[in-house]
Amino acid sequence: MENKSPLSPHIQIYRWHISSLVSISHRITGIINIAAITLICIWVSFLTLGETNYDLIDFFFKSILGKFFVIGLTWSFSFQTLSEIRHLIMDMGYGYELKTTRISGLAVIFGSFILTILIYFLGKFFF
Amino acid sequence: MVQINLPKNSEVKKGKYYKDQTGSDNIRKVNVYRWDPSTEENPRLDTYEVDMNNCPSKVLDILNKIKNEIDPSLAYRRSCAHGVCGSCAMNMGGKNGLACTTSHEEIDGDLDIYPLPHLNVKRDLIGDLDGLYKQYQSIEPWLKTTSKTNSTEIYQSKKDREKLDGAYECIMCACCSTSCPSYWWNGDKYLGPAVLLQAYRWIVDSRDDERKARLKKVADELKLYRCHTILNCTSACPKGLNPAKAIAEIKKMLATSNI
Repeated sequence: MENKSPLSPHIQIYRWHISSLVSISHRITGIINIAAITLICIWVSFLTLGETNYDLIDFFFKSILGKFFVIGLTWSFSFQTLSEIRHLIMDMGYGYELKTTRISGLAVIFGSFILTILIYFLGKFFF
Repeated sequence: MVQINLPKNSEVKKGKYYKDQTGSDNIRKVNVYRWDPSTEENPRLDTYEVDMNNCPSKVLDILNKIKNEIDPSLAYRRSCAHGVCGSCAMNMGGKNGLACTTSHEEIDGDLDIYPLPHLNVKRDLIGDLDGLYKQYQSIEPWLKTTSKTNSTEIYQSKKDREKLDGAYECIMCACCSTSCPSYWWNGDKYLGPAVLLQAYRWIVDSRDDERKARLKKVADELKLYRCHTILNCTSACPKGLNPAKAIAEIKKMLATSNI
């Protein structure tokens, strides 16, 4: 009888809202960032092996895929940073009212795109 | 463990279709999760056409109407019908709540009704809450005092009493705990929002003498810190309480005391 009874549906049916979306995105961007940092470290160590390696990396970053990759990572880092700030504020016990969490969640989502654009132009015009 | 897919025996199949018999011009389709323990079959989603011209405003009214007029085999828990007992907690339109206080007009389109998520189903909309009640028992939700000589009541100032506001109103309907993804994946160890809100209620009670012991008891990687502020709990609570904030307060107390 006991093992026969089914498990009721959970993530399949539960409606998403801003806070749950930000929470899962925080995890996903976290994993992406760890992989990205590891990759960057490997690239940097490649550079120590000589000029030809630099050309290879330079070629990749100038391709469309490479640009998408860099902009994607910039967004991922922006999102993680803003979401982490939101987490820090919440850990201090603030911002738990439903309305506040919705506003702060939206701020993280839109802020991450704005920050990405800002970093893009910062890189384009100042470096 | 994170288990996204349902086990084989829990996959929801297409169920029966109950066509409207009243000839009403105001029909709403209501999809209800059904499972009969007396058969070997998988759960199914039955669809009922309900005459909304003669139906009061809440989801529970729809269920009563289905049970009384269309299909008497439907099983669900209900008692007070006024949001006080917490019996009719279920998942409506993808969100947990009490069927007796949730207006069906709030939900757009077809109305989907499921039992509370990630529970062993006993029948139709009835989930097994034994695990949650055991966890509730484990936090010892009663007043503890070391004094053996005190023969009068223990006084509490108005200010201390105010600390219990937002915690004592909980009716243990389990809407919050069963809405929490962390509780879905680690429900055997993580206490979940409902129980942690009650743990908080006893930790901050000025009359209780075992504050430190209570704090120590919940200070556990799995029991407490599985809360990742997803806030499904707070948005689900039919009484407008804030379990996520209570959990944050417990974390804060632990961080600022040397326990």
